[in-house]
Amino acid sequence: MLIKFTLNNQPVAVEAPPDITLLALLRDYLKLTGTKEACEVGECGACSVLLDGNLVNSCLIAAPSVMGREVVTIEGIHDADGGPNDMQRNFISYGAVQCGYCIPGMVVAGEALLSKNPHPTREEIRVALAGNLCRCTGYMQIVDAIEATASERAKKSQ
Amino acid sequence: MTEYQYIGKPAQRVDALEKVMGKAKYVGDMTLPGMLYGRTLRSDLPHARIKKLDVSPALKVPGVVAVITSEDFTDHGVFGFPISDLYMLAYEKVRYVGEGIATVAAETPEAAIEGVKAIVCELEPLPVLLDMDHALDPDAPQVGPTRSDGKHPNFLGHYPVYKGNPEELLKECDVVVDQRYETVMQEHAYIETEGGLAIPTAEGGVVVYLSCQSPFIPRGHICRVLSLPEGKVRVIVPPVGGSFGGKDDLNYQTGGQVAALALKTGRPVRITFSREESILASYKRGAMRMHIRLGADKDGTLRACQFKSTYDSGAYSSQSPFTSWRASIHAMGAYRYDACTVDINTVYTNQGYAGAYRGFGNTEVCSGIEQAIDEMAEALNMDPIDFRLKNCLRVGDVTPHGQKLTESVGLTDCLLAVRKMSDWDRKRKEFAAQSATDKRRGIGVAALFHGTSLGAEGIDEATGTIEIHDDNLVTLTSGLTDYGTGSRTVYTLIAAEVLGIDPGRIRIHRPDTNTAIDSGPTVASRATMLGGNATKVAALNLLQILDWAAADLLHCDLHQLHRVGEKYVGPSEEPVPWEAVVEHAREMGLVLSAHGKWSAPKIQWDEEHGTGVPYFAYHFGAQVAEVVVDLKTGATDVVGFWAVHDSGKVIFPQGAYGQLYGGISHGLGYALYEDLDFQDGYPQSINFDQYLIPTSVDMPEIQAGFVEALYSQGPYGAKNIAEPAMVPTAPTILNAIANATGRRIRKLPANLERVMLGRVLNKKGSPVSCKVALKIS
Repeated sequence: MLIKFTLNNQPVAVEAPPDITLLALLRDYLKLTGTKEACEVGECGACSVLLDGNLVNSCLIAAPSVMGREVVTIEGIHDADGGPNDMQRNFISYGAVQCGYCIPGMVVAGEALLSKNPHPTREEIRVALAGNLCRCTGYMQIVDAIEATASERAKKSQ
Repeated sequence: MTEYQYIGKPAQRVDALEKVMGKAKYVGDMTLPGMLYGRTLRSDLPHARIKKLDVSPALKVPGVVAVITSEDFTDHGVFGFPISDLYMLAYEKVRYVGEGIATVAAETPEAAIEGVKAIVCELEPLPVLLDMDHALDPDAPQVGPTRSDGKHPNFLGHYPVYKGNPEELLKECDVVVDQRYETVMQEHAYIETEGGLAIPTAEGGVVVYLSCQSPFIPRGHICRVLSLPEGKVRVIVPPVGGSFGGKDDLNYQTGGQVAALALKTGRPVRITFSREESILASYKRGAMRMHIRLGADKDGTLRACQFKSTYDSGAYSSQSPFTSWRASIHAMGAYRYDACTVDINTVYTNQGYAGAYRGFGNTEVCSGIEQAIDEMAEALNMDPIDFRLKNCLRVGDVTPHGQKLTESVGLTDCLLAVRKMSDWDRKRKEFAAQSATDKRRGIGVAALFHGTSLGAEGIDEATGTIEIHDDNLVTLTSGLTDYGTGSRTVYTLIAAEVLGIDPGRIRIHRPDTNTAIDSGPTVASRATMLGGNATKVAALNLLQILDWAAADLLHCDLHQLHRVGEKYVGPSEEPVPWEAVVEHAREMGLVLSAHGKWSAPKIQWDEEHGTGVPYFAYHFGAQVAEVVVDLKTGATDVVGFWAVHDSGKVIFPQGAYGQLYGGISHGLGYALYEDLDFQDGYPQSINFDQYLIPTSVDMPEIQAGFVEALYSQGPYGAKNIAEPAMVPTAPTILNAIANATGRRIRKLPANLERVMLGRVLNKKGSPVSCKVALKIS
């Protein structure tokens, strides 16, 4: 079937079987491999994307259900010049990245949080990331990076 | 203290940008035109003879291109080090649930699964050996290979440390602690599952992109099992999505399988594991049962230690001989004893199989000995930190192995720092006086030592290369892999420091057997020490070439040169930029590349008498945990955590803190819930909905610090961090739980049932989820 939706602010139309997940649609049919596959049961968050602005596990979303909706993947998160945005720069400068496999999902989860709660406490950041597993970092520097981004964005908007 | 430009200064991980943008290409992200997908038929019995294996029906499945079995490999694909008992695909027998039997390559992943289902495989069940305590019974089912020395085939090895006679000395001691401790299997749970991609080459060889730790080891295995010369097999390590010891043996099988299929079909072949397949097929941290007896005098002087244990290697030896040896060396903890013996016996069973996992034996024994030390402090009515301070290793002490420690022993400082940082003394007093409510607060400590690098496990050397290219880009190679640890950044900072240039000028290649030089395995937290020293030597060799060129350009002697930033300055001339010196070197005909080899100091170990110098240097550390335990539910909340470690000089602070935080998260899971439980040989948790690892809300805010007791032979005085970060975490938390509740949990993990009831409810296990996963995954 032809699946039409908005992907990273661009309209797309993909011919794909109706019984696949959004994760498979992104990785196998659109070659967007920034969204990672790691458990396929919605536990790890490596496949996190934004669907109409909400954080979802793309491995749990049926591909046809995104018809006419808006999907943002890690490939759609960047600065105007295509380089890293402030969140991504903070992930780098606060040492939030080790093996990096969970990191696209973490960045997406961080953006989802700040879009709904621009001034989260560290505890609120931890709760927002609870669906994204990381085995490398112990989460400290990921929380640091999101906290710093929130505070920088707050200063900018003043 | 020496002032450095880049060492120990804020720096950014060299590969972070591609990772935050989602652009890093892991094996599973790579596809090639015409690429085939591999899928492996795996055993659904824990022990069985392969009675019939007919792959021809699979070849008739539409889309299936090839199928391989052990018959497709030289000597049936046997491999493994130090004991060669594992096969690329099972030969004659299977010994654990999840063991690979045949691999299908097909046009699509779906066709590969259909091919796996079509294979006719008849398994004849054999008696199953589940309990390590009965592995050496005369009538135990044979799991290990038949031995020529008449010993039981399930006996893998005995690992002793012998100093004096603690049996006798314990009789004289005022206080004796005599307890048994037990650990269970732990899953690495790297977020990226295993995978490999093989591409056939024009010359009849194969290039393998393999998510692994040590590329030269699978290259050797692939050459042997496919009878190919070294020149025809190239292994490249793409970004690795976590490993923690876990991407060795199992993924060497994957490498062998994709290589064989690529050669057979003439097409690229990729295998990526599902999570279920990853947990079923892969080796784990092995389970250990310990019996510890400690003796001390009334004044708090620790005098005797007798440590006896059995370690379960499961179906294959994998790294267990080395794991067990490292466990034996660290079993008594970082303390002085008049007499100390350690005996570890390692055996085969059908409980999956055990291999390398962060801490490598020390994590297991530390959970026992650091609880026993705490129990001794309690019996003596001494503060646990005071007791450790009184007995811990210091410079000048002789270890129970007979090794005199001459430098870089920072344990006392670690204990003092973590005591202060955690506000230990006030909290111990306050919690001792808390009222008997359902929610109890407790605080606990544990300490560790951890030998750097391989020790007496093997030859210990590394070689790095450095080159300045025509565009003045500086490149480095290392045969050691950065699977998330940060070693590529460490090498970049070291080269920048030596050459006096901005780290931004430097790029480091990925490990590639065609361009890097074999530097041994990337294990044992040896990357900073070995690879760092090799990089430093290579950079010094290149610096010498540039210095000659600078002296020639500035018309002076070498000793008259000095540096201002990147610039070179002579006695009378204007400063010249680094590029001008590089260009002048080219004009002089000098080749701008260098190698650097570093060999670790000589050490020796007498395996029979259990004495010698097991490691050339040690990492030390101490951790403190504060917990709130709910006696009604058994839930333990770790509300505070402090860690101070002596890693020698910290080269890349952001990376070192990251290692520490991450190690603590592995240890917290190990302490409280991680248990890869087997029922009748079947693992009971095969995905993240069943096997729980710590999430962001489970982890406390961690305060960490470093004591830099420099090691003279380390690069800038550096030692190690990755493994020791997790080693003391579980006993730290267990000791805090004991402080909170007054009850001790001597078998890991301290889950809800053990904390609330003191035992685990008898759950009837089932092979069903494994069997389902093996059929469809």
